[in-house]
Amino acid sequence: MKYQTQRIAQVYFTVALALFAIQVIGGLLAGWIYVAPNTLSELLPFNIVRMLHTNSLVVWLILGFMGAAYFLIPEEAEREIHSPMLAYIQLAILVLGTLGVVVTYVFNLFEGNWLLGKEGREFLEQPLWVKVGIVVAALIFLYNVTMTVLKGRKTAITNVLLLGLWGLALLFLFAFYNPHNLGLDKMYWWYVVHLWVEGVWELIMASILAYLMLKLTGVDREVVEKWLYVIVATALFSGILGTGHHYYWIGTPGYWQWIGSIFSSLEVIPFFGMMAFAFVMVWKGRRDHPNKAALLWSLGCATLAFFGAGVWGFLHTLHGVNYYTHGTQITAAHGHLAFFGAYVCLNLAIFTYAFPILKNRDPYNQVLNMASFWLMAGGMTFMTFVLTFAGTVQTHLQRVMGEGYMDTQDQIEVFYLMRFGAGLAVVIGALLFIYAIFVPRREVIEPGPVERERIEHDPDHVAAE
Amino acid sequence: MRVWADNPLWRAWGGLMALGALTTLAAARGGQVAAPVLGAAILALAWAKARLILGRYLDLDRAPAWRRGFSGVIGAFLVLLYGIYLIPAV
Amino acid sequence: MSDTARADASGTLPGDLMIWVLIVSELLVFGAALGGFMAVRTTDAAGFAAAQDHLDRTAGALNTIVLLTSGLFAALALRACEVGSRGRARLWLGAAAALGLVFLWVKGLEYAAKAAQGIGTETHPFFTFYYLVTGFHAAHVVAGIVILGLVSWRDNVANIENATAFWHMVDLVWVLIFPVIYLLR
Repeated sequence: MKYQTQRIAQVYFTVALALFAIQVIGGLLAGWIYVAPNTLSELLPFNIVRMLHTNSLVVWLILGFMGAAYFLIPEEAEREIHSPMLAYIQLAILVLGTLGVVVTYVFNLFEGNWLLGKEGREFLEQPLWVKVGIVVAALIFLYNVTMTVLKGRKTAITNVLLLGLWGLALLFLFAFYNPHNLGLDKMYWWYVVHLWVEGVWELIMASILAYLMLKLTGVDREVVEKWLYVIVATALFSGILGTGHHYYWIGTPGYWQWIGSIFSSLEVIPFFGMMAFAFVMVWKGRRDHPNKAALLWSLGCATLAFFGAGVWGFLHTLHGVNYYTHGTQITAAHGHLAFFGAYVCLNLAIFTYAFPILKNRDPYNQVLNMASFWLMAGGMTFMTFVLTFAGTVQTHLQRVMGEGYMDTQDQIEVFYLMRFGAGLAVVIGALLFIYAIFVPRREVIEPGPVERERIEHDPDHVAAE
Repeated sequence: MRVWADNPLWRAWGGLMALGALTTLAAARGGQVAAPVLGAAILALAWAKARLILGRYLDLDRAPAWRRGFSGVIGAFLVLLYGIYLIPAV
Repeated sequence: MSDTARADASGTLPGDLMIWVLIVSELLVFGAALGGFMAVRTTDAAGFAAAQDHLDRTAGALNTIVLLTSGLFAALALRACEVGSRGRARLWLGAAAALGLVFLWVKGLEYAAKAAQGIGTETHPFFTFYYLVTGFHAAHVVAGIVILGLVSWRDNVANIENATAFWHMVDLVWVLIFPVIYLLR
């Protein structure tokens, strides 16, 4: 750790990982409710569990992004963070807001209150006071990181990261605009939900991935930056008008079907670009970085994002297809692999990379960490396949044959059972990951012949531990 | 400045104008010529115009491999459009 | 200047990589739109032909001449800039942008005529595509005029090269959409 204030990231990452644990356990519970629908139906209804599952996901991912910014900006800008105090105040506000959200959702104490009650729009259910808190925290955060960058060295990575973070905060302002017209409501709602994950978050993802590639592979900065700019350009080009793929059936004019279909089809390109980028960098790289687990997460991130966000997104993005698949389990399949591949893996990659540095020790527990990758990635991929099959059957029975929604649900139960199993693997993987990050142990494997040879004869080689 | 006929840009412009005139002539003969022939002529002329723009205006004559790539892909795309164009007639 | 100076035959793209990323992206978008147009046409060829008769082909052809001539002026601006005559480069850029405005004016007359006939985006699938594709193209003409203005202010060779490449992309797209939407029947 070169800069003292990078330490801030550790606190953010820790909170993020705690929420990650809550999120996946909530997911497991929701998965179980699909199997046994009466579970906790009085105490903790499914819609609340789902809200907790999605909200905690978004919050921990954002905390991870912010932590990543606090970690990498000092190194890129070659300056300490402007004000560590503000960074901690910001985190305190976000944690308070998160607790407030959980209490509000679970106990529903303030139903209908304009300030304290939950607002009811999917993903933006947070009560107004929490939304205001989020904006205040975001302002503090942006002030803090922007001041740091302005005082220091400006690199393509920090520029793109800041662009993404500013976009994230500004687009959230649409969460405050809630027109009575349901069509308009949905239209602006997607300004947050879509333009985050298929717009500015991609910028954040690309810049963090670029930072990781720079550090892990040792490829020249100019090469990394060229890739970064192309990825960012294609992401914005396709992603902004790609919002149209949410405007097919909400009462907006028919031309959105073509705008949405065409532009969102191109959204595959930046994800393909990121995958190609990651693999080309590793291939070209000269550095044999000891943190193999971070590299695995980075490559896994780029690959699973391409499949989850790119391929599975394209699967149902054309309006002729979406006419049938809209709102079926196909959407759930895409949602799970896209979020996991693009943003969960990215966060876990930067956590894996940063933690040993923050704790000033060698990257221990690599095997355990990598095992957790395969458990989580395998579980999530299996879940995606299962839900895709469930969605295909559901589409046929419900949308083609015209059977009732619940009749259809009864017939795809076996898929939900398998999804629960896949979810269990993901939860075990997540807990394993947290253990591998926080509990240092000696590595159990000995270096093999190739590694020993390198340690002896290659002066530049750093031993993996 | 050289006389305009020697300047490749002006010549490209002249070529584009000529191709445009041919396109107008072809389109004006709608009804007299079989639609598949007319359609092929119109799309072929479009391809010729695209090639001139790529080569001279966009200066891909300096990068022949790229020019071949771009005009090849656009040509293939126009062939695809022509194929779809013929479907209703079948 | 002589052509040998330009014919470096290095095989690399003239201009920035990023402008070519944009050009390829735009070609993909317009290509997909034209593909969609042709595909939907197969479901109602007679309706598409009838709708197409409402278009003003003369205005379309006129606009082709206007835009391709504007492209020539833009290319001449780059040549002028390359040999260091800034004044002449600016004149050509201004002429190119002025023809861009003429294009928009003709386009505006076309749209006004359609609107007067009560033709909107939902009148027929043909017109959905007509408005979408030509409207999106016209938006690029607007952007192009702004860009040409910007580079006649910041007039170095690299800027003018990228701006004129954008402008030629707008030409290129037009010579593909005009025959497909206005003429094929």
